[in-house]
Amino acid sequence: MGRALRSVSLAVIAVAFGLPLVMGVLGTLGTAIGWFPNSLPGLTVLSDPRLFAATRLTLFTGLMATALALGLCILTLMVFWGRGSLKRIQQALAPFLAVPHAALAVGLVFVLAPSGWLARLVTLEGRPSEAWIVPDPAGWSLILGLALKEFPFLLMTALAYLPRLNPDEFLRQGRVLGYRASQCWVRLILPNLLQSMRLPVAVVLAYNLSVVDMAIILGPGQPPTLAVWVIEYFVQPGGRAQASVAALWLLLVMAVGFLIANEIYRMCGHVTREFRTDSQRKPPRPGWGHAGRAGVMGLLGLATLALVSLWIFSFSHRWRFPDALPERWTLRFWQGRWDDWAPLVENTLSLGMASALLALLAAVIWLEAERAGRIPRFDGLWYLPLFIPQACVLLGWQAGALVGGVDGAWGTLVWAHWVYALPYVLLVLAPAWRSLDVGYERQARLLGASPWGSLIRVRMPLLLRPLLIGWAVAMAVSIAQYLPTLLLGAGRYPTLTTELVTSFGGVDRRVIGTLASLQMLLPWLVFAIALALPAWVFRNRRHA
Amino acid sequence: MLEVSRLNIALPDRPLIQDLSFSVSAGQVLALLGPSGSGKSTVLDWMVGLSAPGVQAKGALSINGQRLDGLPCEQRRLGLMTQTPLLFPHLDVLGNLKFGARDPDADFDAMLAQADLAGLGARDVATLSGGQVARVSLLRTLLSDPVALFLDEPFSRLDAELRSSIRQFVWERSRDIPVVLVTHDPVDIPAHAQTIQLADYTC
Repeated sequence: MGRALRSVSLAVIAVAFGLPLVMGVLGTLGTAIGWFPNSLPGLTVLSDPRLFAATRLTLFTGLMATALALGLCILTLMVFWGRGSLKRIQQALAPFLAVPHAALAVGLVFVLAPSGWLARLVTLEGRPSEAWIVPDPAGWSLILGLALKEFPFLLMTALAYLPRLNPDEFLRQGRVLGYRASQCWVRLILPNLLQSMRLPVAVVLAYNLSVVDMAIILGPGQPPTLAVWVIEYFVQPGGRAQASVAALWLLLVMAVGFLIANEIYRMCGHVTREFRTDSQRKPPRPGWGHAGRAGVMGLLGLATLALVSLWIFSFSHRWRFPDALPERWTLRFWQGRWDDWAPLVENTLSLGMASALLALLAAVIWLEAERAGRIPRFDGLWYLPLFIPQACVLLGWQAGALVGGVDGAWGTLVWAHWVYALPYVLLVLAPAWRSLDVGYERQARLLGASPWGSLIRVRMPLLLRPLLIGWAVAMAVSIAQYLPTLLLGAGRYPTLTTELVTSFGGVDRRVIGTLASLQMLLPWLVFAIALALPAWVFRNRRHA
Repeated sequence: MLEVSRLNIALPDRPLIQDLSFSVSAGQVLALLGPSGSGKSTVLDWMVGLSAPGVQAKGALSINGQRLDGLPCEQRRLGLMTQTPLLFPHLDVLGNLKFGARDPDADFDAMLAQADLAGLGARDVATLSGGQVARVSLLRTLLSDPVALFLDEPFSRLDAELRSSIRQFVWERSRDIPVVLVTHDPVDIPAHAQTIQLADYTC
């Protein structure tokens, strides 16, 4: 088992992380400088007058959204720690984690637009206000959308790291020494927590700097963010070389974004180093905790309104401004369009199922090889595909797929989805896989089971729940993939996500609401199965 | 003087302590004795204001006539040392002492020297020995200028030789304040200490 396991796991690592990186970046570079047939150098992009504005917008929205998501995560921990409501928030955030970015973005437009739900709930005038525009030219709508979507991920990550940092004991020691709880957080817990969370925060920053679907829906159009700009070039006839140059520029801008973020982090550390030990005990500030809790709950309420608005629009028949709710309701948009949407659902599910199962299989092989000592731990490597902008590697993959004659093939799409799903499966599965008591398998081996037998009959059933959660996460990641499906699918495998982003802005809101509800519903169903199945299988067992 | 009067504590599922009262003068040591589960640490947690959620407590705690039991933990000005002293890993030895100090201009070098820790101010706390950790933790507590000191089995994890020297270190530096020591080991109790068997007050 050992040698085969090592070979297969190293092959998985190469195919998942080595090949995409090398092929993607080289392919994009090759396209940019005209290596491939029928492509011309695209350096003219660099003299485009919109370049500077798009670069500035990308850095501003990416950095601000990351700071806001992190700030929200920290505020939530500070004001809810030690309260039962933190557990409830944690449970309430699980559905937000599963919601695709595009669906949340559409929901936010439905709520925040001048004629949106919020305006309908508070307006005193009979017509939509002209005082604000969503999406706004400065990018604040995009910042809000990204922060709301990434905040649950950061909070879940922080809650996973915190037990190792012993925050209760830090709070106890700090408070006994005379500091109030918020001072203990700022001086004692956050420096350690932020140090541990550098990698997940960097993943969020990379995503925020290179996001496409949410930026198309919530971001400004003139100019758009760099990632959207890449796609605009790509869809122009003969624009592939320019798109590749723009993608490489985006890679450079991301590196600059990381440098800026790192410098801000370093400066904050430097500035706070002195005050961490300045011995200043501050008197309590009554009301701050309430204000913080109200702020967090307000933003979560906004995100909830966004998701609910999708459903309301999908069932609304007649909804005049400024009515708070539709005048008449209908099932027309769910029933009448099913023939158009069935292939989208089918493509979404088939790509999701195949890539999720492959990702699960690869993760099991990887973790089992690691456990058997056949390969070292590669924890940092997992994140690698998440650090490189999709636009940058996908253009290279597409060039490679064209040369290899596999452009628009179902298998190519499955591979691309798999590459982006695998890191998340590993993140979910690894802690449980590594911490399972080895005594179970030792006992199984003593009772005559082979290594494979003990893996399949003992370890995997015991880890059914994390395995299914990993599968559900992979499905959710696949369902939300926009750019890989768009660039590698050649239009042959449209999914709910590609259809939603493409149709947004040009189609009736009620149709968009139905499409977004459907896109949101699929990952929820998958998560419901992942949670219900182990509970049912082990209904008579305590460990489940 | 530290005074506890008519303390009653109930856990979520059962009553624990009934009608406990005692007083400790400055320079005196009171040892709370009892087997595991008798409520020693629960009493200490109540006194420092960090009772676990669900624990119901009724009683009065005062220092020199001033009631403390209604105040949040950070306003009580009490020192606490536990069996697992926790030094903050992102701060060096000096940073840990400065964090505890009420006077930022205290002579930290002199204090380190007195505690046989001279020259260790810039040391990463992760590299300290068990005895050094215990001494830094106690110095940090004393620098916070506590009006009383609570010791929750602070010597139990130390080896015999170290235990004796750290005990000496603690008693010498806490001569001006009341000290409450929780322990199940009679060896840790100084000769002049009063003792209370918590078993006499448990329900």
